[in-house]
Amino acid sequence: MSIFDDRAAEVLQSLPYLLQGLGVTISVTLLALLLGGLIGLMGALARVYGAAPLRAAAAAYSRTIRSLPLLVILFFLYFLGSDIYEMSVFTSMVLALGIHTSAYQEGIFRAGIQSIERGQSEAAAAIGMTPFQNFFTIVLPQALRRCIPYWGNEAAIVLKDSSLAYVLGLTELMRRGQYVISRTHQAFLTYLIIGLIYLILTLVLTRGLSYMEKRVKIPG
Amino acid sequence: MTKSIVSIRNLHKSYGKVPVLNDFSLDVYPNEVVVVIGPSGTGKSTLLRCINYLTPFDSGEIHLDGQKIDPRKTNLNHVRQQIGMVFQDFNLFNHMSAFHNVAVGLVKVKRVNRGEARSRALDELERVGMLQYKDQYPAELSGGQKQRVAIARALAMNPKIMLFDEPTSALDPELIEEVLAVMKSLAAAGMTMVVVSHEMSFAREAADRIVFMDQGAIAEMGSPSELFANPHKERTRQFLSKLGYRENERKDESDG
Amino acid sequence: MDDQWAFFLRILPELWEGLKMSMYLSVGALSLGLVIGLPLALVKTYGHGVLRFVVTAYIEVVRGTPMVVQLFMVYFGLPELGIVIDRVPAAIIALAVNSSAYQAEYFRGAILSVSEGQYAAGRAIGMSQGQAVLHIILPQALRIVIPPWSNEMVYMVKYTSIAFLIAVPELMAQGQVIITRTFRPMETLFWVGLLYVIVLAILSQIVDWIETRVRIPGYQSDRRG
Ligand SMILES: Nc1ncnc2c1ncn2[C@@H]1O[C@H](COP(=O)(O)OP(=O)(O)OP(=O)(O)O)[C@@H](O)[C@H]1O
Ligand SMILES: [Mg+2]
Repeated sequence: MSIFDDRAAEVLQSLPYLLQGLGVTISVTLLALLLGGLIGLMGALARVYGAAPLRAAAAAYSRTIRSLPLLVILFFLYFLGSDIYEMSVFTSMVLALGIHTSAYQEGIFRAGIQSIERGQSEAAAAIGMTPFQNFFTIVLPQALRRCIPYWGNEAAIVLKDSSLAYVLGLTELMRRGQYVISRTHQAFLTYLIIGLIYLILTLVLTRGLSYMEKRVKIPG
Repeated sequence: MTKSIVSIRNLHKSYGKVPVLNDFSLDVYPNEVVVVIGPSGTGKSTLLRCINYLTPFDSGEIHLDGQKIDPRKTNLNHVRQQIGMVFQDFNLFNHMSAFHNVAVGLVKVKRVNRGEARSRALDELERVGMLQYKDQYPAELSGGQKQRVAIARALAMNPKIMLFDEPTSALDPELIEEVLAVMKSLAAAGMTMVVVSHEMSFAREAADRIVFMDQGAIAEMGSPSELFANPHKERTRQFLSKLGYRENERKDESDG
Repeated sequence: MDDQWAFFLRILPELWEGLKMSMYLSVGALSLGLVIGLPLALVKTYGHGVLRFVVTAYIEVVRGTPMVVQLFMVYFGLPELGIVIDRVPAAIIALAVNSSAYQAEYFRGAILSVSEGQYAAGRAIGMSQGQAVLHIILPQALRIVIPPWSNEMVYMVKYTSIAFLIAVPELMAQGQVIITRTFRPMETLFWVGLLYVIVLAILSQIVDWIETRVRIPGYQSDRRG
């Protein structure tokens, strides 16, 4: 048992150093969520409103991406990026994580859109809204509200998966943790702290979203 | 002869092989209230939904205010602005207050400026007696209140004609009257209306013409007094007696 | 094209070994996760007091932390406490711990979706609480849980790939070995990815088939997207 020797104190002293990795972790997460959200929303639109070939293509995309491990996508983009032009590992990670989550967000958005009763968009059409106005003022605002809890789960998964960025050498939380370990040889304690930081982040994220869910809840 | 507001000519519509509208033709004139009755599944809802092109049909023509609607050339969204529609199950926008339900069409579709949209929306809510509920959300309103807001929402677009598809049949009996009262006052104010409804009190009081629809076509048509007192066809007679029976039944309930 | 095909055939034996390891990890993690997760679900649903609190905390902590951290905790962290575990069992344990928390939630969801009246009817004919759960609730819940459980299976098979980070020779790791030897990363990853897609398509088919086999006649399970 070596948790409580001097080197343990060293680990605790490295906390500020570890926390500096938060910036990368959070920006990778947010950018990936945004990218995945955009692709996912377009995929959902294609699968709900698209013509048959488009629907099939979007479905095939989702099914394929859902079957691919994040690491496979990550390394593929990493090698592709370094093959074609100098793409930073940060970009590779955001792209990989964004593409990976897009398939799941597509499912979430699609379920949300399909859960809105047909009468809503019929009533909008009946007062002369264009399909575009109809979708953005009537269907989407209601669908997004219903998506929040599922989207929150997905966002937490993306946050946790962002830890895989360390394999490319991105100095986020996990990578910094490994530097701390190589100096202090305190893997247990270090991973415990890193685990705690992630736990706090996911809690803040999910609590924040459920607060938002309450805030935007339709009265009644 | 006066020009019709809506002219429906030789409408055909089928779902798969099942014909729903079978060479249906009808002209609706300014300030006229036409009440459509008929057995379930006979195509009444389909007819209304074809008039504003919510449902595409196989052949036939719709003329609005003397102009033929050609779905390939005419902007259907523009057509729908001029045809108000009230649904059986209200379809109020769930995420908007009563006020926003009425104002959204003015702001988004008619692109009226906010101040004017506001005062017009409030006017329409007042007209249906819902001004004091303007900030309530649909889930906070009773069925009758929802339907009145839905009527205000359609009226706000300043339509040339209003279509009602069984506007009271999803309502509890004690809420029906408040919606019918709004509709009667609309009729009295000269609104052109096509109303699918089996509320005989409304038909007697407000209708200029009753259309009895059967199997996708007009089986019989006439003024309320003619049609109710003296239906020509056996089919109409049967249907009316069934309706009368239902109406009596409800009266009995509310008396007891 | 011929070249690609020849390349694939050349690396196939190695990938095959990796695939077998991936399947081994998946089966191990999913079954161990089931063995841990189902009791957790029962405690969280029917238990109370400290036990229930501990289980709830376990589920929240596991679901709130990355799988890599859990894996490294088991493989690099535990040895410092004197618990040394080999790579493969370490990977299985870490993945199983992760899966147990998710499976517990899926089972709990399924249990809660079996209507209250079913349980009451069981008790009404004189069953104990345990009997009612065992004979009435679980047989229905286990059917309901199939679709979410199938998602969990797909998820696990995919995430066994992180075992490569502690040098378990599964599919991803075999791919990396081939890449360093051949310098043909794109082709290698393509074939690796394709193997995952094929395996998961087959597994999903099997689960669908099982779901139809055990479906209660006239009783539709609703399946999300
Ligand atoms: N979307 C649809 N797909 C297939 N069939 C339909 C569809 N909508 C309506 N129908 C069929 O068309 C026929 C006419 O339906 P419609 O709703 O117009 O009848 P209705 O006269 O309004 O009946 P009700 O009094 O019950 O409202 C019915 O047989 C119905 O089953
Ligand atoms: Mg109808």
